Amino acid sequence: MASVTLENVTRMYGAVTAVDQVNLRVKSGEFVTLLGPSGCGKTTTLRMVAGLEKNTGGRISIGDNVVSDADKGYFVPSERRRLGMVFQSYAIWPHMTVFDNVAYPLRIRRRTDKEIQDRVMNALRLVEMEQYAERPSPALSGGQQQRVAIARALVFEPEVLLLDEPLSNLDARLRTQMGDEFRQLQQRLKITTLYVTHDQSEAMALSDRVVVMHGGKILQVGAPEDIYRRPESRQVAAFFGTPNLLQAKVRNCRPNGGQYYKLDVEGRGWSGECHAAIEIPAGADVTVMVRPENLQLGEAGAANGGLSWAGEISQAIFRGPHRSVMVKTADQTLHIETPSLADVGIGRAVTVAAPSDAAWAVRS
Amino acid sequence: MPWSHEDRMTIIHNRSLDDIAETGPTLGGNAVTRAFSGGSIGRLIGMLALIAILGFLTIYPLAMLLYGSLHSTPPGLAGEFNLNGYRAIMTTQNFLVLINTVGISLAKTVPSLTIAVFLAWIIARTDTPFRGTLEVLITLPFFIPPILTAMAWGMLGNPQVGVINLVWRSISGSTDPLVNVYSYGGVVWHMCQYSIPFLFLFTVDAFRTMDPSLEESSRMCGASRWTTFRKITLLLMLPVLTSSFMLSFIRGIESFESPLFFGLPAGIKVITTDIYESINHRATPDYQYATSLSFAIMGLMFLLVIWQWALLRGKSFQTVTGKGFRPNVMELGPWRWVTFGFCVLFFIITVVLPVGQLLLGSFFRFFGFYTYEMLTLEHYRAVFSNSEFWRAVRNTMMLGLLGATATMALGAVVAYVSVRTRWRGRSLIDGMAWLPWMMPGMVLGVGFLWAFAMLPGPIPIYGTVWALLLAYLALGTPVAVRVMTGAYHQLSYDLEECSRVHGASWFQTMWRIMVALAWPAFAVGWVLTFFGIMRELSASILLYSVGSETLAVVLLKLWANGNAEQVSVIGLMMMLLVILFRWVQLRFIKARISKL
Repeated sequence: MASVTLENVTRMYGAVTAVDQVNLRVKSGEFVTLLGPSGCGKTTTLRMVAGLEKNTGGRISIGDNVVSDADKGYFVPSERRRLGMVFQSYAIWPHMTVFDNVAYPLRIRRRTDKEIQDRVMNALRLVEMEQYAERPSPALSGGQQQRVAIARALVFEPEVLLLDEPLSNLDARLRTQMGDEFRQLQQRLKITTLYVTHDQSEAMALSDRVVVMHGGKILQVGAPEDIYRRPESRQVAAFFGTPNLLQAKVRNCRPNGGQYYKLDVEGRGWSGECHAAIEIPAGADVTVMVRPENLQLGEAGAANGGLSWAGEISQAIFRGPHRSVMVKTADQTLHIETPSLADVGIGRAVTVAAPSDAAWAVRS
Repeated sequence: MPWSHEDRMTIIHNRSLDDIAETGPTLGGNAVTRAFSGGSIGRLIGMLALIAILGFLTIYPLAMLLYGSLHSTPPGLAGEFNLNGYRAIMTTQNFLVLINTVGISLAKTVPSLTIAVFLAWIIARTDTPFRGTLEVLITLPFFIPPILTAMAWGMLGNPQVGVINLVWRSISGSTDPLVNVYSYGGVVWHMCQYSIPFLFLFTVDAFRTMDPSLEESSRMCGASRWTTFRKITLLLMLPVLTSSFMLSFIRGIESFESPLFFGLPAGIKVITTDIYESINHRATPDYQYATSLSFAIMGLMFLLVIWQWALLRGKSFQTVTGKGFRPNVMELGPWRWVTFGFCVLFFIITVVLPVGQLLLGSFFRFFGFYTYEMLTLEHYRAVFSNSEFWRAVRNTMMLGLLGATATMALGAVVAYVSVRTRWRGRSLIDGMAWLPWMMPGMVLGVGFLWAFAMLPGPIPIYGTVWALLLAYLALGTPVAVRVMTGAYHQLSYDLEECSRVHGASWFQTMWRIMVALAWPAFAVGWVLTFFGIMRELSASILLYSVGSETLAVVLLKLWANGNAEQVSVIGLMMMLLVILFRWVQLRFIKARISKL
């Protein structure tokens, strides 16, 4: 397995910069997801690694080999990069059977019939499709097509596997199932994987590391939990779910004993403790992020460490697994997720509290 | 299974809007661009060759048309430049010809479209029995060379000895003929027989692929079936109907066979027959007049095309998607046998009657005298022992096979360059390939007359079979390009790119993926082009010479000599060929693809 290295990779379309100076190193055997909203440059980045798009600046290497260097005008075409790729549409060739589709990369490489037979059946077994080998490929459901596309991408043991939103065309239930299966497969084979998606939960469930992109730039790279709990910027914080983002001023900042800092902050009508990644001087403006599931409702007046707000319940929506509660405070409306069992009364005065390690501050 | 086969076969990858924003600027098969990025010289040479070929086929005859219209003498002779040609066509008489042309075309387009839409509705949206078979039968007339049915109707509807009138007289005892095909009505009637299946082919898929929920929601809003049909279905189809109408109208103006057979004997002139007459039927052919008229009709065509373009611009076809919906099928109850009968009647009138007449005519000594003693096989013997007939068969088959192959190959390349690459000059190529679309065969024939005559001495194309081949190539290219463009549009770029990523080179990808996927469309286009060549008369009649006659030309000559019986024999042979090809097409090609 090989690593993938992107150094200052840029892609311009005329005057428009689709990908702007991206630096990224995907380690051998690692599963990295490019995550971002539509038009953020994630697909373009993936296509540049695939060689389907030419980078206008920077250098891309796979393993120890440079495959594209814009400054030297060096470019290795897709077919010589030894990659496997799963397209969003799966790109299952409709004029071939399942077997022929999977055998294609091997036939192109002129392997013996015996080897083709063995390896195709192995690959199909891997995705549990061996009984469909002789099916004409149009007669497959979406999930089956996706499995075939994965088998085809894996059959010749590529250096790197690229996936362009492979789950987006499946229904919700199948999406989760295929995602889990795929993650297990990837861990078993230890194959370097670069994955593109706009779905945050998919990215978090599958990846070793997530790369959050926006406007052609990388905003943050990190383990899913880091990105979710300790975003480096307001943008990254806002990208996952619907967090409560609160304006506040720093009163005091000190190391928390670990790798982070503990802050005392004060907002309009509330104050308390939270954490941050960097030292922020007193008096600076910060945005404090608290996720709805980390907020707790309590009787009015009750307060302990961390943060707390006084307010009154303005709205409650039953969502099955949980209940979304809106609490109107002096400053703004807080969004809280509570277990759906607990009943809440509209108009009730409450205290909303969050432990200090659930509140995360970034500079505004 | 609630959805159809095509539905699950997602060849078409509907890139969402945001993805287009992300990858949009490179849409256009960068795989190809890259393959040639090392050898841009090769690409340049390829493009130049393509431009040269298309230029010779379209721009050159067009330029020669303009040159000839200003030149006082026939092609190849020294002369002077003047405007006499244009002065000569500016007459009151020619104004009448123009009115005739437009009037006849309108008169055939309106009823044709009405009937075609009705037929399309019957086939696509009702539970009329045997719809599959009926569809094949209804579209068959489109594939029969018009010259055959023209001759057959000439015999059927002849006021003196036509079968219809003979039967009418014996039934009613009247002495007046019931029908006379040598009239305005005859011209329109014959044109309709081609327009209806043509328009049917055009509209039936629009009926078929319309999202049924659009109509269902109208019903849910309280509209009746009939109101829904008027306010939703028809209006949604308006863009398709408009473009069909314009197309049919343009083809009506280009039409040659119908006015030639039924108009000229009655003194009804249209532009195409006027061009033909001024070259073939005058003591001294008036080339300048013919060429000026040709150029003028080109101008008319150009205006029509612009108008069509303006009409259709901004009209969205999005409601009519390519998805494999199951259309609402209306249950007609006992009325379904009425619609069934209507379809059968259409088939009988357009196919059974003319073919029956050819069959009848071929076995009797003289057409019109259908008695037992007159039965004979001598016409078959005469035709089969006629070396001119066999030469025409050879010519037609050769031109058909070679012409269809060359046309489709050119169309495939042009469509690929214009649809799937981002090469510079691709829109020029696309435009050039489209030019013959607004040149009627007659006009292109005149253009090529000049073009071949003006070629330098060592290139003796004029008067050979190659002249016909080049004309057919030019005439067929627009359709070939459209067919292949449609085919390429259906193939997502992913299919190509996926092959590249998995190790295939550009040429391997072309061969194993693009050719493998596009060949059914190629085959469909090939058969269409072959039919087109077999039926072509208006350009052939100007460009043939002794030795390079096609079957259509031989037929016309025999007909002009009053030899209707041998015409029937040859017509039957051509009919057999048509049915054979159509059968092969439906049996082997249609099985592979869903459309056409």
